[in-house]
This record gives sequence, structure tokens and C-alpha cells, in this order.
Amino acid sequence: MLTSAQWTAVWDGTLITLEITAFAIVVGCLLGVVLALGRLSKHRILRALSWFYIWFFRGTPLLLQLFMVYYAIPIIYLESTGSQLNIDPMVCAFITFSLNTTAYLAEIIRAGIESIPGGQMEAAKAIGMTYGQAMRKIIIPQTYKRLIAPVGNELVMLLKDTSLVSSIALSDLLRTTKTMANASGNWLYYLYAAAIYLFLTTLLQLGTDRLEIKLGAYEKR
Amino acid sequence: MVKVEDVHKQFGDLQVLKGINFEVNPKEVVCIIGPSGSGKSTMLRCINRLERITSGKIYVEDELTENRMNGKTVEKIDPQKLANLCLDIGMVFQNFNLFPHLTVLENVTIGPTVVKKENAKITEEHAMELLEKVGMADRKDEYPARLSGGQQQRVAIARALAMNPKVMLFDEPTSALDPELVGEVLQTMKELAQEGMTMIIVTHEIGFAREVADRVIFMDDGVICEEGRPQDILLNPKEDRTKEFLNKIL
Repeated sequence: MLTSAQWTAVWDGTLITLEITAFAIVVGCLLGVVLALGRLSKHRILRALSWFYIWFFRGTPLLLQLFMVYYAIPIIYLESTGSQLNIDPMVCAFITFSLNTTAYLAEIIRAGIESIPGGQMEAAKAIGMTYGQAMRKIIIPQTYKRLIAPVGNELVMLLKDTSLVSSIALSDLLRTTKTMANASGNWLYYLYAAAIYLFLTTLLQLGTDRLEIKLGAYEKR
Repeated sequence: MVKVEDVHKQFGDLQVLKGINFEVNPKEVVCIIGPSGSGKSTMLRCINRLERITSGKIYVEDELTENRMNGKTVEKIDPQKLANLCLDIGMVFQNFNLFPHLTVLENVTIGPTVVKKENAKITEEHAMELLEKVGMADRKDEYPARLSGGQQQRVAIARALAMNPKVMLFDEPTSALDPELVGEVLQTMKELAQEGMTMIIVTHEIGFAREVADRVIFMDDGVICEEGRPQDILLNPKEDRTKEFLNKIL
């Protein structure tokens, strides 16, 4: 069994994992909508910018992005301005995971918007709505139910991928248990981490299942 | 009310409309008939700018809304004025296109609340009157998925009327319906016509056209072949193409 000090450490580690996940999914959904609309835009420059963003953040390893924000930016800053820049590793994690998740969610949201029949936009325009009004009130609300499954997927991946922050000196859940395992030579500590990750992903899975049923209620005949 | 001058529409190399001219007067009910692919629906969709014409002019209430030449706008119209003119045009679609995530009542109130920012209570009262009129008031809290096609189409008519349009466009409003549901929708449209609504209806319902239309336009291959009073066009057509078409469907 864990000592009470160890429980506290595991609890703190779990909190770090959860904070990064929650922050990234919220920012990711907001920016993801913007980027998805960019991808669907009539303006070539907006389309190109969104495409480029997604291309970069999906095309390079998350761990590499984390290193770039944590190690490379302070060095570039030092070389160009001559002064030190200390970034809190937690802030680095927030930024990197948000930017990365945004790229994946943008594609999910874009596909969701494109799956809504074209007649919906036409009907909205026929009663005088602008593009923005139609998107906000008609199109995007209809995507919610369809987005739950793929966004749930992304959320579960995100939660597990936050374990990468152990490489930038953040004591998340995995790193905390790893430290205990290394110090004691007892691999059983990893089981605690596995159990907690499983517990959290189970909650997510059950939650998204219920949400999907609730949001799809209007489709029932 | 609506005037269309030498309208051409091209999709790539395909000429869909080849110089259409017609005018619809206030309170007039005009039915457009013709074979599939003749450009009837495209013509209708051009009037409220769901499609942009390649060249020609369109007027709504004597105000120019489109003036284009070779796919480019010749005369730019003030967007605010244009938006207001477009609000005077209501449209009903073949596939209803009700908003599935909104209840019947919300489908009817969303236009006035979002677009005109009208007071919620007044909007709802007006919406209930309209639902009463189309016989759907008792289903106001249902979602569209639980309604029959005929009921959905009647709600769609109420939704368009909620914006207080001056002219209503109907794009084959009964073509997607089971035969036994066609009557209820036509009845609703007939009542609307009797109240003096200006209506332009693309339809295959010849019997309805004969009974309700003030004028019938027969379109084929992107041109208007013949137009006139329903009894003349439908019973004694002059053009061979009209005769051929009517023989096929009657």
C-alpha cells in the first residue's frame, strides 16, 4: 500500500494530468471551430493558413512540439534579445497540448459540419440568416451529437498523451509513480498509475456515451 | 412583385437557363410546369439568390436585386437593402429542410428571433397563429423526425410565413411526399392563395395548377415555351412540346 505522503504525490500528479487535459480540450474545441471554418472558407488565404496549421501540428510528434516550446523558444529568445526567458513547464504543457489538440479537433469539426445536408444552410438563408447566424444556430448545433464519439476519442488520447510532460520536468501521474518505482525497485507502483488512468478513461467513456444519447434525442422517431 | 429579365444560368458548360423573361404581379399565383431538367427549380432558386445567375436582371418589388453579365456583377446593390428585399421572399423546399434539432414551434420562431430580433412573446404568438393555420398547433413541441412528410411540409410553410414574406416560392413542395399526404399540403397552399399571397410554384400537380393558378408557365430546356391562363395552357396548348409533356403526365 501507498503511504499517505505517496497518496498525496499521486493525487497531485493526477491533478496535473487532469488540468492539462481539461485546459487543452476546452481551448482545442474553441480554436478548432475557428480553424474548421477557416478550412471551409471561400477565402484562399484563410483556407491555406488553416491547412498549414493542421499540416504542421498533426505532422510532427507531440513530444517534439513540447521540446520546441520548452527548450527551443527560451534559446531563441536568449539569442535574439540577450535576456533569459523562464517559462513555467506547466504553461508550456498548456500551450503545446492546446495547439496540438486544436489541429485534430479542427479536422473532426470540419467533417462534422460537412456532414450536415446542404439544404439546412439553404433553408437558413431562405429565412434571411447570415452565414454566421446559420452556423451558430443551425449548422453547428446539429454537429454536436455527431462530434461526441470522435471528440471522446481525442479526449481519451489526450488524457494518456499528457504523460509526455514527464519529459519536461512536470510531475504528472506517470512520472510520480515512476519515481516511486525507481526509488523502491518495485514495479507494482505502475499498477496504481494504470488503475487511475483506466478509472479516468472509463468515466470519460461512460460520460460521452450518455451525452451522445441525450444530444441525439431529437432524432428519435 | 418579381420581374426576371433575360436570365441566363450556366453550370460549367451546361446552359440551364437560356434567356428567361417573366413578371409576377402582386397577389398572382403562377405555376411553373415542365419536364425534369428544364430549369424550373434553378429559376426559382435564382430569385432568392440561392443560385447566382450568369447574366440578366432580377427585380423584387420593382427594386433591382441582381444585374449580372457573364458571371460578374454589373451593378452592386447595397447589401442592407438586398437583405431586406430577400426577407420579402419566402421559400418552401422539396425536402422540407426543417431544422431537426428544433421543435416545431422553434422552427417557426427562429427566423424572427434571430434575423429580426423580435420580441420572444410576440414571435411566439404569431408562430402559434401560423401553426394553427397550417393545422399543426397541437404538435408544437414535437421534433420534425416524429412528423409525417406532409406535416413537416406544413410546418415548413409556417416557418417561411413567420418572416411575413410578400412572395412565396414553392420548389416542388409535394414531390417528396407519399401520395396520400399530397392533399393536405396542397390544401394549405390553396388557402394561402385565397388569402392573396403572391406565389410562384414549381409543381407537377397539374390538377392543382388548373384549380389555383392565375397563370401557368411551361418551361422546357431552359426556355419558357408557352405561358397563359391555366385553361388555355393545360387544356388547349399551342406548342407541340407542351402537348407532348401534358400527354405524358396526364
